[in-house]
Amino acid sequence: MMQPLLELLVVDDNPADVSLVCEALVGSKTRSKITSVGDGVEALAFLYRREKFANAIRPDLVLLDLNLPKRDGLAVLAAMKAGPNLRRIPVVIFSTSQLRKDIVRSYEMGANCYVSKPGNLNDFFTAVQSIEEFWFGHVTLSREENNG
Amino acid sequence: MSSAGTKLGKQDAGAPQAKLRALLVEDNALDATLVVRALNRDGFDVAVDVVQDEAAFTRMLRANPPEIVLADYNLPTWKGMEALKVLRAEKLDIPMILVSGALGDVTAVECIRQGVTDYVLKDGLARLPEVVRRALREKQERSLRHQIEEDLARKVDELARSNADLEQFAYVASHDLQEPLRMVTAYTQLLGERYKGKLDESADKFIGYASEGAQRMQVLIQDLLAFSRVGRQEAASASVDCNSVMKDVLQTLATAIQESGAVVTCGDLPAVWADRTQVAQIFQNLIGNAIKFRGEQPPAISVKAEKADDRWQLSVSDNGIGIAPEYAENIFVVFQRLHARTEYPGNGIGLAICKKIVERNGGRIAVESHPGKGSTFKFTLPSHGPEGVAAQ
Repeated sequence: MMQPLLELLVVDDNPADVSLVCEALVGSKTRSKITSVGDGVEALAFLYRREKFANAIRPDLVLLDLNLPKRDGLAVLAAMKAGPNLRRIPVVIFSTSQLRKDIVRSYEMGANCYVSKPGNLNDFFTAVQSIEEFWFGHVTLSREENNG
Repeated sequence: MSSAGTKLGKQDAGAPQAKLRALLVEDNALDATLVVRALNRDGFDVAVDVVQDEAAFTRMLRANPPEIVLADYNLPTWKGMEALKVLRAEKLDIPMILVSGALGDVTAVECIRQGVTDYVLKDGLARLPEVVRRALREKQERSLRHQIEEDLARKVDELARSNADLEQFAYVASHDLQEPLRMVTAYTQLLGERYKGKLDESADKFIGYASEGAQRMQVLIQDLLAFSRVGRQEAASASVDCNSVMKDVLQTLATAIQESGAVVTCGDLPAVWADRTQVAQIFQNLIGNAIKFRGEQPPAISVKAEKADDRWQLSVSDNGIGIAPEYAENIFVVFQRLHARTEYPGNGIGLAICKKIVERNGGRIAVESHPGKGSTFKFTLPSHGPEGVAAQ
């Protein structure tokens, strides 16, 4: 049986970082599809399938930056954890911030884990690959029926 | 004599000198005249207002503050010493001299203890000019000292502010530089890996240089951030047991200690009043350096403490390569290095951080060293908290 395609939503305003995430997952064993949006408002439109994202597929995992234009990552996280369907989607905060208040706040608001973006390329790749391997390899997700 | 104040004194319209403005608290017109005469006789050109109750006294102070107050001790409706309280209430630093009939020694001493500048008996008014002169001189010195103190306080304040601004700047700059630099680092690395051997040899070399430079800058910025964080973060001072700190530090450095064969001996250490993380950072940097800058022999490091007044002097000695005396100050400056990166890695931030932590705790750090034989770093930390709470 073919493994279903897993959907990863990357919320990041820096195209260079999105590109690095894609590069990191080139040749990965998991069959995953990466979609990216560049600010908090777009992220919520995507998740709530509004406007141009009316046909968007519900992601299996969200990689969420904190420092975003329009609405920041914590606002997106809060909205997700308040939504009955969205709250089941695991959220990995992926940010350069190493400030304790950002980390604590993220967990308080229900982030599933917090990963600091490493400065070094290889560390960055390893981080992204381990996130993918863990959430798409080891974890049993609560997927929606229509996603399969 | 009305309570609104009466003008007395020599009306010398053409006098070049500014008149001495005196406020007389006196109910007896004759005595008032005698006082003015005593001052005039000694060359004082005085403008005197005379009052005899609190309301008039206060009004005159506000309308035309005098340079000196001369007060009778006993008044029918008021007491001379009450004038002193009014001066205090009005926050005026004006010398006040009691001019009085017989005043017992005990009373006189008590008045001076309460803040009267001096006292003169009415039958000894010849002394008055000299007493007034001295009071004015002391007042002038006091004002000057006060002004100098104010200037100094303002300068200290300005300095503190500019220091804080600078720290804020270093933090923001280094923090905001990290983000674009991360892109440079990541993509030069990616270029290097993806296109190695696909361009020409020079291209590989150039990409390598760019990538190394970016990575080194990243470490520098992280160090700078760590350095500026010492000042920014609220240090939670408390009683810190140095023995327990050392245990943690040795654990952290376990690999380095094992690989170098270092032996760290540690006496019974005291408790100090500081931030635990920062104390650990000092020990970790100093012991880490002792291992890094080792000589031919395996490192032998000893940590000791001795009491120095209200502080503890802690020391970390080693048998390493040592430091030439001319560099003993330099090594504490941020990014100062004495060796090539290829000889000893590092950015020259560790000792700068140690110095910053120690100085923020009001202490001193210094090194004594014999090149080729070893170094001893000594630093002081408070032994108790601000209210004398003993560290334990």
